[in-house]
Amino acid sequence: MRLLMTATQIRGLPVVTVRGGEDVAEVRDVIYSPGAGRLVGLTLNKRGFFAGRSRDVLSAEAIHAVGQHAVMVLDESSIVTPEDASDEVGHPATERNVLGDDVLTEGGSSLGKVADLVLLVGSSGEVVGYQIDKAGGGRGYIPLPAQLSVSGDALVVPNITEEFVQDDLVGLGASVDEFRARLGLS
Amino acid sequence: MGVVGWLILVVIVVAVAVVAFLAIRRRRRGGGVIATKDKR
Repeated sequence: MRLLMTATQIRGLPVVTVRGGEDVAEVRDVIYSPGAGRLVGLTLNKRGFFAGRSRDVLSAEAIHAVGQHAVMVLDESSIVTPEDASDEVGHPATERNVLGDDVLTEGGSSLGKVADLVLLVGSSGEVVGYQIDKAGGGRGYIPLPAQLSVSGDALVVPNITEEFVQDDLVGLGASVDEFRARLGLS
Repeated sequence: MGVVGWLILVVIVVAVAVVAFLAIRRRRRGGGVIATKDKR
């Protein structure tokens, strides 16, 4: 089953093993590749109300499924130390947190601020767009363009993105293909 | 202040320190949404 979820909904989800049914960790950071438009991995917290961060991480390839209520992995061996994971997952660039980034068009217009990341999840994680707090007030959604430039400060999008700001997730899903076609990416 | 008074004070200070430590630990759990630096 595939469903649209925001990164904020994924953060805090328990990580549960398919084989043992054990609740082994909790999601802290969602790491994604803006260029490839996919989930790359997750950093973790230990379980328990007062428990702190866990050093261990979970690569996207080791995720069995992401659902509404849990992130499923086959067994505890799916969770690895930072040294055994790719550098971008093992040592994530925390200064590149996109929440709160200004969304600017190439022409210099502000569309608002990044409120969340929208992913199509299930057996894999595909990034479809961003939820934004619009400059004029209210929430909106923009599809993810392939040539997006992202830092921890700003998200620079093509000028035509302005035409594709949607008011709801349903509209976002419908606009992704059209948006990519207009950019000549599909 | 007698010995009992000092003991109560020490217990209160330790309790406050433990709660503050756990609260800070809890706060540090908050995560984010991190974009990787794509190689082009």
